Amino acid sequence: MTNVYIEGIGMTKFGKFVDRSMKSLLLDACVEALEDAGNPKVDAVFVGNFMGGSISNQEILGAIVANELGLGYVPTAKVEGACASGGIALRQGIMGILSGEYETVLVAGVEKMKHASTADVTQAINAAMDTDSNEKQAGLTFPGFFGVLANRYFHETDATKEHLAMIALKNRENALNNPLAQFQKPTTMDEIMSARIITSPLGLFDCSPTTDGAAALIISNKKGKIHIRSSAQSSGPTQMQDADDLLSLPAVRESGRMAYEKAGVGPEDIDVVEIHDCFSMTEMIATEELGFFRKREGWLAVEQGRTKATGDKPVNTSGGLLSRGHPIGATGIAQIYHLVRQLRGTAPNQVEGARLALAQNLGGTGSYSTVHILERL
Amino acid sequence: MKIYQCDQCEYASVSDKYRCPSCGTGQLQEKELSSKGSVYSYTDIHIAPAEFAHLAPYTVALVQLDEAPVKVTVRMSSGVKIGDTVDLDHLEDGAYIYSKC
Repeated sequence: MTNVYIEGIGMTKFGKFVDRSMKSLLLDACVEALEDAGNPKVDAVFVGNFMGGSISNQEILGAIVANELGLGYVPTAKVEGACASGGIALRQGIMGILSGEYETVLVAGVEKMKHASTADVTQAINAAMDTDSNEKQAGLTFPGFFGVLANRYFHETDATKEHLAMIALKNRENALNNPLAQFQKPTTMDEIMSARIITSPLGLFDCSPTTDGAAALIISNKKGKIHIRSSAQSSGPTQMQDADDLLSLPAVRESGRMAYEKAGVGPEDIDVVEIHDCFSMTEMIATEELGFFRKREGWLAVEQGRTKATGDKPVNTSGGLLSRGHPIGATGIAQIYHLVRQLRGTAPNQVEGARLALAQNLGGTGSYSTVHILERL
Repeated sequence: MKIYQCDQCEYASVSDKYRCPSCGTGQLQEKELSSKGSVYSYTDIHIAPAEFAHLAPYTVALVQLDEAPVKVTVRMSSGVKIGDTVDLDHLEDGAYIYSKC
């Protein structure tokens, strides 16, 4: 259990904002979170960001936030952990408060991706693989890894591409009610199933998009209404060929196990979940690794509608990465933003009476995972 | 085909490590064995990063080697399905290029 509470939240709309700078998106989210918290004195800043250096030639995001917002000469840092940059930034803030060094921390995440070409963005994302390896030289990509995983999952279970499509459709339907989500156009199973293939069997709708956007949180040791019950983080294999079990993400399993243990709750106690669905297949595996469903049975839960907003284990009521969008460094923070709204009772696709919420943020092909469990007091 | 086998436990991998990631104490020893294996899973990559875009679409497979509990990520010279028997054709810029037997 931590003594850390979430006092304020802020988030920009996710989408394509060619005329906006990374800095202006980041500052908008931070100002909204500060105002939501009543503009407290901030003792430190952590910013999650992955490709600001490679795609926008912009680093020092922590110091930029402190200077632009008049926070004083407080300590700041940018945190990089691939797609888990946001979740790890949050954890750094929590650790700073737990250590006694800080009382109130501004944690933010941002990414600006839409101005670059798909080939250049894919290349930049590949930095989150072990690039000094025969695996990277073979031409494996992130969607490629989850394509290989999906084909094996289909081989070992009765799951098919339709089950992946059901996940994509569910998350799109959730996004339709979320004005901050990137994709707000309705779709159909037919459209999803016949979309162009990215890395077989994954099609366009099975893959999260590139996105511009930012999100921010104010966390503090002053007792508030939203309690961070636990924070956990794990590492996992950095190469597909080194996985003991291809249909497992050990970092997700281990970070989940530690988060449950620290919070003193189990998967059955969680009312609402945000999972790192960078691909439809990733959501399926993560629901198994987090103990919501048995191994190799995540597809059955999807078929039975259990992960819909109206199901017994609602997953990605924000629209998830697939439809809310995936501005890499902002994603882990945006998950928390949405869950705080669920716990405040003001979320799109509100889960009635939600009290315990879980967020899981993944980096690399299972290289990093964070899990945070939140509680409404 | 070179693999790396831990001198303290059962761990083996196609890539060398500074220390055994399984037991944490053993050293990995180089061992030579057959490159033959079978396709454990695969994907056809249609959208590729800039440096591989000229090859797309291409097939990447995870190959289970016959002679050791080791899997290798390879690029295939043609399409495959799970269970296909495959073998090393040649090395190319540090990548194993495999073809069907």
